[in-house]
Amino acid sequence: MSSPQAAPRTGAPSGRRPVPPGLLFALPFLVLFAVFMLWPLGQGLWMSLTDTSLSAHSPGFVGVDNFTEALGDAAMWSSLGHTVWFTLISTVPLVLVALVLALLVHTGLPGQWVWRLAFFAPYLLPVGVVSLLWIWLYQPDLGLYNHLLHILGLEQVAWLSDESVAMWAIALTTLWWTVGFNFLLLLAALQSIPDHLYEAAAIDGAGAWRRLWSITLPQLARIGAVITVLQILASLKVFDQVYLMTKGGPNGSTRPVVEYIYDVGFTGYRLGYASAISYIFFALVLIASAVQYAALRRREK
Amino acid sequence: MTGIPAPVGPPGLSRRRLLGTALTSGAALLGAAALSGCGSAQASDASTVRLWDLFSGADGGLLNDMVRAARPDMPGTRIERTVLEWGTPYYTKLAMASAGGRGPEVAVAHMSRLASYAPTGLLDPWDLDVLAEYGVGRDDFADAVWARTQYRGHTYAVPLDTHPFIVFFHPEPAAKAGLLTPDGVLDTEAFSSPDRFLAAGRELAKASGRQGIAFGYVTDTAQGWRLFYGLYRQTGGAFDLPAGGPAEVDVDRMAEVIAFMAKLVDGRVNPKRLDYPAAIAAFANRQTAMILSGEWELGTFRTADKNVSAAPFPTVFGTPAVYADSHSFVLPRHPDPDPEHRRRTHRAVAALLKAGQIWATAGHIPAYGPVTRTCAYARLQPQAHYAKAQDHVVLDPSVWFAGAGSDFQNAMSQVLQQALLDGLAPDRAARAMVQRLNTFLSKPSPA
Repeated sequence: MSSPQAAPRTGAPSGRRPVPPGLLFALPFLVLFAVFMLWPLGQGLWMSLTDTSLSAHSPGFVGVDNFTEALGDAAMWSSLGHTVWFTLISTVPLVLVALVLALLVHTGLPGQWVWRLAFFAPYLLPVGVVSLLWIWLYQPDLGLYNHLLHILGLEQVAWLSDESVAMWAIALTTLWWTVGFNFLLLLAALQSIPDHLYEAAAIDGAGAWRRLWSITLPQLARIGAVITVLQILASLKVFDQVYLMTKGGPNGSTRPVVEYIYDVGFTGYRLGYASAISYIFFALVLIASAVQYAALRRREK
Repeated sequence: MTGIPAPVGPPGLSRRRLLGTALTSGAALLGAAALSGCGSAQASDASTVRLWDLFSGADGGLLNDMVRAARPDMPGTRIERTVLEWGTPYYTKLAMASAGGRGPEVAVAHMSRLASYAPTGLLDPWDLDVLAEYGVGRDDFADAVWARTQYRGHTYAVPLDTHPFIVFFHPEPAAKAGLLTPDGVLDTEAFSSPDRFLAAGRELAKASGRQGIAFGYVTDTAQGWRLFYGLYRQTGGAFDLPAGGPAEVDVDRMAEVIAFMAKLVDGRVNPKRLDYPAAIAAFANRQTAMILSGEWELGTFRTADKNVSAAPFPTVFGTPAVYADSHSFVLPRHPDPDPEHRRRTHRAVAALLKAGQIWATAGHIPAYGPVTRTCAYARLQPQAHYAKAQDHVVLDPSVWFAGAGSDFQNAMSQVLQQALLDGLAPDRAARAMVQRLNTFLSKPSPA
């Protein structure tokens, strides 16, 4: 619009232009961004400095009291630990399994579209459906998994009520649910690797494994890094499936930090304190993202 | 039109206009959605009393019957029920609506939650004079229940019922085990000490040919606490929770109670690891002769055994005390209530209380005395057997973090589960509970 040829067509008075048209185009987005992002961010930060609670009384300013309390709160640290642990045991399989699935579909399996559909379909389900489905699969007495274990003559597992198993069970559910998205990204990347690379390698006498190690995987490195970053951020946000499947139990062993924020704010009514914890979490996620970004940049150089 | 034809698209519809139309209609949609979202909660006319409650299923049907039965007592008033799912979020919804002054005219809340509600200014007090005009007064309620409705000299709750934690039993095995008096009532003498209680369990197991007493607590967020706190109050031990802490409790007696509970579910004569539904099923299928349970399961048990009987929780540790809670009516805060509408609300609640006989069929003990004193109530079996329980009820400690559906009950139940299921020593479990109590006490109250 700002090019000289376009200017006369707009019919605007020449000379001064109070609002650049680019801004006008961005305005609808900016308004929504300000209302739903910037304002809540600022409001939340203010709340974290007050003792706001779900009551009829007006809140008072308490400075950084909420933050000092949170840093000494064992429950916050343990729930933060659960979030990190979940991120670890969900991100690794979500990337690796997606890679294996993509490679299988790309190279070997006949009937590609069936597999593409089958692996991606769970991703389309809402979290409520996924959780209810898996609660049934995990049922101690009549669930599918314990039934299978029983047929195999193995001991039954208390999937969601054993403290040492519950987090793994939730990670498994998450794997089934969201692996399709990573799979699709990897498959697209696989299909865009130019064929001539493989042809040249084949002419040079490289076998299938050699081609995998020397061509396919290096070509996927870039998208692999992006997927890992996205996956870590998604896993850090974990709340829905935990809340629906175990409510953070047994004995708080699966409660992620986001649920702790929810518990403190919405069942304990301490909104100010809950805001403080969410800002601490926000800062930690920001640091984690910055570290990842820096590491990626360095590798690319 | 600017006079310059649009380069593409049908004539008369410039790109700019299209974008403009799309934006305006989008904004209009957003605005309309926001408006209707607020509107629905507030729409009401003068003759409608909106009631939020948490009764679904059979209880919900009975409340509908009560509303119908109460109609002659409140001419010209229509009660509009909104049933919300029971659970922690119920109180969040109620608190949010009240904080914004957009709550219903009246809501049902657990009395144990009052300590976290009344001081925060989320509730308005009841006007006892108006209630008295419609025939409801302080003397119509048991002292133990009424005491909990007060905060700073005002009445913040009108009790609808008491729902104690009691024992249900199948009469045949209980009679065979010699645990019934000649008139078919449970012989509480046989349960009057920990050893006798356990011995009675053995007798019940022998008589039923299977197992004795069921108690479902595994992964439950309240059951362990319900049994523990009722028993602990029977020991007469102190349980004082001053603001800021530390808790003044008797750790030895807590350990004593926990040790008893652990023996009760040791798996010898009573089932060991039952969760809530499994315990219900075990008793309903007559795998056990007795169950420690809330009276609200009466309907389920009566479907399985029409002769099922019940008794108040026996006094095991000397002082009579029965763990209970109470559904009560509360007035969510309104910044500036219409006095006429308030009066109508008082009248509607009084009318509902008088229809309490219907409520009693579900198993709850109606809090309104004139109902439980009738012959019709005395004929209700087994309800009449355990109506005495309301004289010795203990509710959750009166602190802001306790009460039905609270994180506190869950935290306590989790420690108890470790003691009952995973073999944590009773004295260590008691100390762990005190430690968690102190953590709760150290947090500032939202009021």
